[in-house]
Amino acid sequence: MTTVAARLTDVSKDRLEFRAVSKRFGPTLALDRFSHVFEPGRVHALMGKNGSGKSTLIKILAGAIAPTSGEILIGGEDCRFQRPQDAFDAGVVTVHQELSLIPGLTIGENIFLGRLPHVRRFGLPMVDWIALNDRARDLLHEMGLDLDPRREASSLSVGQQQVVEIVKAMSTDPRILLLDEPTSALATREVKQLFGLIERLKARGVSMLYITHRLSELLEIADTCTVLRDGAHVGTVEMAETDHAGIVAMMFGAAAHATRPSRRDIRRDTPVLQVAGLRRAGHFHDISFDLHPGEVLGFAGLLGSGRTEILRAIFGADAADAGSVRLHDREVRGASPRQMCQAGLGYTPENRKEEGLVQILPTADNLCMASHDRIAPHSIVTRAAEDPYVHRQIRDLSIKCGDPENPVQSLSGGNQQKVVIGKWMNTEPSVLFFDEPSRGVDVQAKRQIFDIIWQKAAGGLAAVFISTELEEVLEVCDRILVIHDGAIVAEVDPTKTTLTELYRLCMEGPTQ
Amino acid sequence: MTVRDAEAATGNPASRLLKAYPMELILLALILFLVATAPGFASLGNVLNVLRTVAMLGIIAFGMTAVIISGEIDLSVGAGVALAGCIVAWFAETLTGSLGGTAAVSIGFLVAVGVGFLLGVFTGKCRQLYRVPTFITTLALFTTLRGAANLITGGFPLSNLPSGFGFFGGGYLLGIPFPVYIFAATFLGMHFLMKFTSFGRAVYAVGGNLEAARLSGIDVWRVKNLTLGLTGVLTAISGTLIASQIGSGIGTTATGMELDVIAAVIIGGTSLMGGTGRIWGTLVGVIFLGCIANGMTLLNVSEYWQYVVRGAIILSAVLLNQLLEKVR
Repeated sequence: MTTVAARLTDVSKDRLEFRAVSKRFGPTLALDRFSHVFEPGRVHALMGKNGSGKSTLIKILAGAIAPTSGEILIGGEDCRFQRPQDAFDAGVVTVHQELSLIPGLTIGENIFLGRLPHVRRFGLPMVDWIALNDRARDLLHEMGLDLDPRREASSLSVGQQQVVEIVKAMSTDPRILLLDEPTSALATREVKQLFGLIERLKARGVSMLYITHRLSELLEIADTCTVLRDGAHVGTVEMAETDHAGIVAMMFGAAAHATRPSRRDIRRDTPVLQVAGLRRAGHFHDISFDLHPGEVLGFAGLLGSGRTEILRAIFGADAADAGSVRLHDREVRGASPRQMCQAGLGYTPENRKEEGLVQILPTADNLCMASHDRIAPHSIVTRAAEDPYVHRQIRDLSIKCGDPENPVQSLSGGNQQKVVIGKWMNTEPSVLFFDEPSRGVDVQAKRQIFDIIWQKAAGGLAAVFISTELEEVLEVCDRILVIHDGAIVAEVDPTKTTLTELYRLCMEGPTQ
Repeated sequence: MTVRDAEAATGNPASRLLKAYPMELILLALILFLVATAPGFASLGNVLNVLRTVAMLGIIAFGMTAVIISGEIDLSVGAGVALAGCIVAWFAETLTGSLGGTAAVSIGFLVAVGVGFLLGVFTGKCRQLYRVPTFITTLALFTTLRGAANLITGGFPLSNLPSGFGFFGGGYLLGIPFPVYIFAATFLGMHFLMKFTSFGRAVYAVGGNLEAARLSGIDVWRVKNLTLGLTGVLTAISGTLIASQIGSGIGTTATGMELDVIAAVIIGGTSLMGGTGRIWGTLVGVIFLGCIANGMTLLNVSEYWQYVVRGAIILSAVLLNQLLEKVR
């Protein structure tokens, strides 16, 4: 075998090829015959909205789920990963968005977890701390990091932890590295460090698949960009040959605006909620806005922009450091959820499983949970007193729950979301915050939830609406505030803006 | 397995009954077995005796049920019983001379109840303000209260009590032991509280999902603190009845009682994870434990074996509940 031939096989050895890979979850096709060759030694960005299929693609490659059909070839070899360990053994390593370091262990231990080097002393196998720390130090050094491997992982910043995660992944000498939104929790300086690391890995011939929502990062770090939409492969472009607008167009396609009722004029003389100069250190600052009866106000911003934290602080779920909140022209100080609930403000949290519902309790109990003061003025609750409240919401919101005495956890995501909304409707609120009400619900339920919001707004409810899906914000809202890095950077009229423009504002703020 | 499960789901009335009321049926079987085998189990005297013992345990267990549903635990109830008994006995001994027996016992009882309530709220506040798990606080109280009780008595029983005091724990009203009335009243009160008041509903919500309950406008810490305080009150009531029954305040009373109380709650189907459980189930649990203890004594089972059997029963009850959870 000549050296040239050897080098050729070497290069094609890590070629990653997808051949008509599909994944079906029940009736939905999450990934539709995806075919593409990822060339080795390059950084490939994966772009797409939530639910576009990019996570499915990554999970299949990582062995977390099995494809329904199609095949994956690495260096021409067919790979059938039954479990994550198989992918790992084949040299495919994933760095997840959520950090997985064990806080009580040292950096070195975390890097070699499950593979701690041993030495025999007194006839017993013992952890070889010297070798472990030496090897960890070398690895860290190689990645351009000056960290003591004996430090506890809990003492590291989020960014440093992310970098240690990547070093840990690198210590297994992978051929393909999957990075799932590695920068979502990082500060700018840490992002630079991470990009330096990625450059080094690329120089060593490692192929990387990189998921991100941040467009600006793409031009900086990626070589190619593969765009998915509704499970289908829209296309792949060389970063050198495209720009932001091109990628956004690929991601969203021709946006379909359909069933929205015609916009009404909103009287803006007496605001129901006035927020001024609200601040919570490290989360958001200088938040001021008015909300009027019958208005649906959108908060557009990326995950982590502070949009949820603002709503939580107004609702009293977290304490704000400064600023004032006036509800019905009355100042509310040091608010608690209980106080806000009684004053006519409701909040459907983004995380309905953990924060919105008590999963093991019946649908009926969940629907009545926030309105006991109303149902039981003398603190005595009977099902007879609760029944009208339960049935009104089940009817109004067309909740499909079978017997309302069954635990709410048996309901589908869309119906659970409606139960959360119904819980607040029972308090007859004048202001209701909808935080990601459409997350994880099917298309039909989504339409129903939007209809509910419009209907209630027409009846005088003032609403704030948050969604990661910007086209939903454009469709649902009467007015949009763009949140970037914890501040309101723009106010947008949804009838006078485009998706691309809104997307750009959310990504980069007003400058540029 | 699957075939059997499918049969059980759709199957005959007997298996459906077994799934809906497992502990009730097991208790029934146990009672039938003891009636048939244990000499004197079914006699009126023995039944009343079992009920009296069960009453002391059950009064606390109903409160403990609420505490566990709210997602907390109280390990200090055994020591709390001893402390309450000693407080009542100390006031009775000290004040009877000057105020008369009724007033002395009343004052002692009120002090014991007040102390019980405040200790419960204190446990809750430690959790609320300093994030100390109630397991830890009540474990500390478990030894502290036991010590305090012995400090009050100086290590000797306080037995110089007013003559009528023995009625509360040992007396009969219309042929039924007096504590059984308190037991029944506590059962009805707690059942009503947990099922028909917004406070009781809030206990379930807080234990099922603290954050969701808080975001629904429920004052979650008030609910937890009051639940713990309520159990402190019930513990003091039970402690007073026990002191009355044995005729003295003794610092070592009710040693290990917290385990029986918690066992009764768990046998009754309440989950230690919080959020689920019924007062009715705890009633079944305490009667079950009472019958087992009494039956084994009547059958001349050695005391050491009784401990082993009780442990096995507690574990079996939990395993059974887990299995049924899967089938449901």
